[in-house]
Amino acid sequence: MKLEKVRIGYKESLLEIDQLTIVPGKVYALIGANGRGKSTLLQTLIGKLPVLSGDIFIERKNLSEIPVTDKSKLFGLVHSKFSGIPYMRANEFVALGRTPYTNAFGRLTKKDLQIVEESMETLGITHLANRFTTELSDGERQMFAIARILAQETNYIFLDEPTAFLDYSNKKRVLEKLSEIAKSLNKSIVYSSHDLELALEFSDELVCIPHQGNKVTNFLNEEMGVKKVITICFE
Amino acid sequence: MISKKHSLFLWLLLLVVLPSAFFLHFATGEISISWSTFQDAWFSFDSSNSEHLIIREFRTPRFLMACLAGAGLSVAGLMMQTLFNNPLAGPYILGINSGSSLFVALSLMTGFTIFKSDFGIVASALLGAFVFGLIILALSFRIKNGISLLLVGLMLGSFSGALVSVIQFLSEANSLKIFTMWAMGSLQSVQSDQLISIFGLFLLGVLGSFFLVKSLNSLVLGETEADQLGISIRRVRMLIIGCTALLTGLVTAFCGPIAFIGLAVPNLVKILFKTQDHRILMPASLLLGAVFLVSCDILVQIFATYVPLPINAVTSLIGAPMVIYFILKRLA
Repeated sequence: MKLEKVRIGYKESLLEIDQLTIVPGKVYALIGANGRGKSTLLQTLIGKLPVLSGDIFIERKNLSEIPVTDKSKLFGLVHSKFSGIPYMRANEFVALGRTPYTNAFGRLTKKDLQIVEESMETLGITHLANRFTTELSDGERQMFAIARILAQETNYIFLDEPTAFLDYSNKKRVLEKLSEIAKSLNKSIVYSSHDLELALEFSDELVCIPHQGNKVTNFLNEEMGVKKVITICFE
Repeated sequence: MISKKHSLFLWLLLLVVLPSAFFLHFATGEISISWSTFQDAWFSFDSSNSEHLIIREFRTPRFLMACLAGAGLSVAGLMMQTLFNNPLAGPYILGINSGSSLFVALSLMTGFTIFKSDFGIVASALLGAFVFGLIILALSFRIKNGISLLLVGLMLGSFSGALVSVIQFLSEANSLKIFTMWAMGSLQSVQSDQLISIFGLFLLGVLGSFFLVKSLNSLVLGETEADQLGISIRRVRMLIIGCTALLTGLVTAFCGPIAFIGLAVPNLVKILFKTQDHRILMPASLLLGAVFLVSCDILVQIFATYVPLPINAVTSLIGAPMVIYFILKRLA
């Protein structure tokens, strides 16, 4: 995914990105203060919000020209919280990730069921598959939300503050899994976060939204430390 | 994922409970008629035989109408609950029934008779359901909050209710009587020769609904997520409102506004089957809705010799405590 001279926002320009390339196998942490446009950027990257100017290319195709049905096979978005749905079992929830691939009645083939199973295995949550989603803990539910996106088999996985409602150990577990998935399944992963230390530990690049001005810049993790991130994004 | 237990339960409903309800319904009429007479009425019909006429012109249409009305309202309620992500949604609460009532009132009691044919009431009820369905749909694009939308639906219902009262107040005695009889609700007003067209429209609504199961399953996650899964929300909303308005309008046209079934049956089905898979919920609501209304009508028939009960009252009298019981049982 390549962004070239992109201006992002609803009506007025909120952010500008001169150049950004998102490659497979890497994890990108998106850092910025509240209200600076992290979610707006993610909405733009999944093609929900059109760019104000500039271009986003995916494998040489312009994002604005990709049909909705194809987008659902390219991008998956995990929200900060999944509260569970009454009477829905965890494996049924993951199976909904297969929606873009199933027939008119949503029938799951053997291949679909196998992919659902593998997605849960990757995250180590197969033993919870038959539980109702309302019976799971917040951490477990977030794992299932990621498993559903894995079952959706998208090249790009975006996560909007996926660790916001989790305790420290669950935050770490989720981010560890994301790093593993990026490497083992060769996915491009972009997540927004306020946990600076964890973001530095579990990402390859940081995409920073500055607290002043609107030029988004990306840095390799080695170049950054918590203090530098705070200076750029928050103070 | 449809489990064996679920499909067994569905087959049981279809093959055992519904036919049993049919026999009971047939057996509890005011005049007792033998089984052999029943068979003769269908296979060697004699138009001078009054018992044959009762079976052909009254009991069979009444049973079939109860099945279609129960099934249609339940399926409509299920779709509304999923679309608005709210277990309180239903064609009645969202004001779709009120649309039918208003248009029937306009057609029967004012000089404003757009539909003067025999199908006047039916066409008015259908048009009313569609118009109010479209109003709710248009509002749903602006009002994102489900509870606010339900409140708007209730207001819409009250508003049209008030308009109906004004029309009733100003109308003449004869048309007022016709409207009041219609509004009380009855499974008996359908005539046997109307059944085929009713069934045709019902089938259209139900088949349409079955083609929406995949979208409905995604909508359980909410519209944003369903959109992420490649579901065209705008198209699906239109289709759901269309099918719901067709089914609700059809039932309301012939049976009057029936309040309870569309709300209760889908909730009961979810509690019983413990799933959100519409490939189970849809046929289960269809069957349970039919069984539920037929059972209510059996009670109406049993009590008919002592006290004539309107079907609307019976559905709520039986259904409300049942739903409360299941909710309490689930919480315990």
